[in-house]
Amino acid sequence: MQAEPLAPPAALQQPLIPPTSRPAVDTFFYDNKIVRDFGIATVFWGIIGMLVGVLAAFQLARPELNMGTAFTTFGRIRPLHTNAVIFAFVGNGIFTGVYYSLQRLCKTRMYSDLLGKLHFWGWQLVIVSAVATLPLGFTTSKEYAELEWPIDIAITLVWVVFGWNMFGTIARRRERHLYVGIWFYIATFLTVAVLHIVNSIELPVSFLKSYSLYAGVQDALVQWWYGHNAVAFFLTTPYLGLMYYFLPKAAGRPVYSYRLSIIHFWSLIFIYIWAGPHHLLYTALPDWAQSLGVAFSVMLIAPSWGGMINGLLTLRGAWDKVREEPVLKFMVVAITAYGMATFEGPMLSLKNVNAIAHFTDWIVAHVHVGALGWNGFLTFAMLYWLWPRLYKTELYSKKLATTHFWLGTLGIVFYAIPMYWAGFTQGLMWKQFNAEGMLQYPNFLETVLQLVPMYYLRGIGGLLYVSGVFLLMYNLYKTAQAGTLVANEKAQAPALVPEAEDPHVQAGHWHRWLERRPFQLAVGATVAILIGGAVEMIPTFLVKSNVPTIASVKPYRPLELQGRDLYIREGCSNCHTQMVRPFRSETERYGEYSKAGEYVYDRPFLWGSKRTGPDLQRVGQKYPHSWHYNHMLDPTSMSPGSIMPPYPWLFEQKIDYSILPAKIKVLRNLGTPYPAGFDQVAVDDARQQAQGIVADLKKEEIEVMPDKEIVALIAYLQRLGTDIKVKPEQTATAATAAAQ
Amino acid sequence: MSRSRLAYSLAGAALLAARPALAQAADTGAASATDAQRTMLWFVLTTLVLVLMVFLLLVVALINWMRPQLRQLYDLPTVHDTWSGRVLGLLVGDARLVQGEVRDELLDHDYDGIHEFDNDLPPWWKYGFYATIVFAIGYVTYYHVLKTGQLQGAEYAAEMQQAALLIAATPDDPNQVTTYTALTAPAELSSGKSLFMTNCAPCHGASGEGKVGPNLTDEYWLHGGEVNHVYKTIKYGVNGKGMVAWKGKLSGKQMLQVASYVLSLQGTKPANAKPPQGEKEAPAKAVASR
Repeated sequence: MQAEPLAPPAALQQPLIPPTSRPAVDTFFYDNKIVRDFGIATVFWGIIGMLVGVLAAFQLARPELNMGTAFTTFGRIRPLHTNAVIFAFVGNGIFTGVYYSLQRLCKTRMYSDLLGKLHFWGWQLVIVSAVATLPLGFTTSKEYAELEWPIDIAITLVWVVFGWNMFGTIARRRERHLYVGIWFYIATFLTVAVLHIVNSIELPVSFLKSYSLYAGVQDALVQWWYGHNAVAFFLTTPYLGLMYYFLPKAAGRPVYSYRLSIIHFWSLIFIYIWAGPHHLLYTALPDWAQSLGVAFSVMLIAPSWGGMINGLLTLRGAWDKVREEPVLKFMVVAITAYGMATFEGPMLSLKNVNAIAHFTDWIVAHVHVGALGWNGFLTFAMLYWLWPRLYKTELYSKKLATTHFWLGTLGIVFYAIPMYWAGFTQGLMWKQFNAEGMLQYPNFLETVLQLVPMYYLRGIGGLLYVSGVFLLMYNLYKTAQAGTLVANEKAQAPALVPEAEDPHVQAGHWHRWLERRPFQLAVGATVAILIGGAVEMIPTFLVKSNVPTIASVKPYRPLELQGRDLYIREGCSNCHTQMVRPFRSETERYGEYSKAGEYVYDRPFLWGSKRTGPDLQRVGQKYPHSWHYNHMLDPTSMSPGSIMPPYPWLFEQKIDYSILPAKIKVLRNLGTPYPAGFDQVAVDDARQQAQGIVADLKKEEIEVMPDKEIVALIAYLQRLGTDIKVKPEQTATAATAAAQ
Repeated sequence: MSRSRLAYSLAGAALLAARPALAQAADTGAASATDAQRTMLWFVLTTLVLVLMVFLLLVVALINWMRPQLRQLYDLPTVHDTWSGRVLGLLVGDARLVQGEVRDELLDHDYDGIHEFDNDLPPWWKYGFYATIVFAIGYVTYYHVLKTGQLQGAEYAAEMQQAALLIAATPDDPNQVTTYTALTAPAELSSGKSLFMTNCAPCHGASGEGKVGPNLTDEYWLHGGEVNHVYKTIKYGVNGKGMVAWKGKLSGKQMLQVASYVLSLQGTKPANAKPPQGEKEAPAKAVASR
């Protein structure tokens, strides 16, 4: 990290192969158009995703920004934001960088222009379908995997097209060895495929509704194996690959250490996959799986930092350029943010830290340091570097790019600091007991209202950040106008000679052997990423003691099931957890802590990851129906000052019973013990239960039609977490009766 | 730079070593402690720490003073690459031991103009990695092989046990009716009112007129209108009917303040009052008569 001045080594100027043995030189053309297209898509979706994020941020400060419609309510907007920035912004960013660098690192054009076009338009179509379905409430509720099954299939197909094009290009390369960037691309492709397929296995009920193959604890484990590794293999490994190409290019310096890149590549992909359970510490996940998550998360520090130091040390001798060059400025902050986030992650995985941080805004701060700093800034650096080269001209304005850099940096600071503050504040308030041994802040809302000023500040941070992206858009547009697109860039390289005749082949490190063999490298990477997931998942699925069953826990009644699907549709789990952790501060606040056996019929699991509102696992029977009725109509009527949006459409829309029999059938096939033929009577059962709730509400002088959605939602909420209460309560009543 | 860091770590180690002794002394001392004894203990401890610090400073000064000689010793080929030699290297501040030797020799690699050095793994990184691996193995061993560490269930049980020790045991039988009398002091009623406004008003109305919950201003009561019955309803809630148990959220005193405030609302006849529910009771019904 020191700036030792280093003269460019003489070896750089010398040709690597003596001229006599030089084979014939091929002339070919790089496809720059596809790179440009992905680049435009990156900026376009980036702006949309970030603007949606800004809206979501301000919705938490001012609930009226939910705008009173179902489509614009936080629970549906937040998944739109996360999907747009992860898969649309970063996704297109990955493809921009891969399509540019892979051609050059392999000294060949992309394998197929047609596959490239299919890939591009297929991916945009997936994004458009996400934009269309998420606000309409079609969601699986599994974080970063919210899209319903037909879109899951489309993603798989597009991903196959990408892989086909990538491996085709690698197969036709004129470069014997694969550069470290390509190892990361290969690992990304394979692991994302495995993650997406395994996590998305679901049984369709209708065209846009499905139930997860996994239930409860198992679903949670699979989901966070996926969720954590979406961060690892969608937001980290491909971007490390991009860093290894664009950083030495932009800095004009050799990569610091080849052997460091080997060690950190293999250790990173092997260890990352194990760390998922750190999202489920102190939950109903078996202890041994939690401990594995902690242990492997701590071991992740060095492999992650290996990437950071190889990046920062590559800049030795180029720090003077950092002062001048906005591209390098962006890269330095990106790599530093990566280093900070990957140190913080393992710290958050320690159980005592996690006990305070989990479910709070601390986690939101943590992911945004990674997303805004690492992914965002590296993308911007790449685009500023690429555009003049694609259009064979100078960047329109370095000054504007530098302004963007400072706006973005300021945006990150304004985002992260208030969120850290909010996280510590809320985490500590939840746990605070007074001298009398009672919760200092028994009213959850009190802890939320403390955070509202922070929510404003974070929204301002987001605005600063996205305003920088507008500058980027303008700068790139002006650059493109000043030049002309070099759609097909001429290049020359010697054809690959047979391995036996290649003078490079004999010399070097043992790892060179693997770098000549993409297939073996891919197999090696696949083995490395399969081990961790298998060790954690297989026992959780097969060994019964991992999910002790509870006899009194019964499947949901049909109306409750309908209500649960409404809970999923409205995205309630974006703000409410269903996981009371075994802390005195939580059992005092919510009631008995959650047990694995309570979730065996939950498809998908709805534990949530953020408590913007209170936990709901024990909300059943806590309030009367009328409380929920009034609360959903206007949350502030029951909780003055609440930042929860109202849900008036639940009082107008009718419960959709048309697919209820199909739901019951699918759940029966998945193993929920509904009696045979129950699908035939399910609707009647639902209507009967609805009548009961309507009658209860009538006693409270609330008139509601039994077929309104609110009735189903109340049925579900009143059932939540009550099954394990059945027994003690009955015995208590019996004891009381006996005493009198 | 590295010397001062070393001094810090040594001081830290000394403090750590002193800690168990301190805890023990505090334990035995606390039971029978007089203030004089405690002062003495702190005096001794402070002196000890001061002596240690002086000692450390002397060691650092010595190393600093002898640096050229130590450097010579370190540079001897018989010393240089041994383990003790490395410790010596750290003492004399050989940066190579922390960041590795940077040879900057280019490899025969050229990928689209990108070249690679093959510099050593920085030792701080490499040994850091080893340390995390040791931590991970130790972590799993501690919790799952030796089973020494408390897993979450045991941790929770311990936390609850500790809480039970700290909080005075109160008879907690829901059937046991308390024998409080309603508070009447204006200060108590005004605290009761503010508690009512934040916690009860959403369901019972700002004036107790009843909304989701029943009207509290009339003479009709579902669960008894005498102050101890109201107190009990507040404390334990009414399961299944939506009255939340405030036990653990409000203190006994606060619950009595709220109960007293509620009774002070009797006969206020607010607007939009909910129709009566339950049985009619005279306001000051005695407990004994039930």
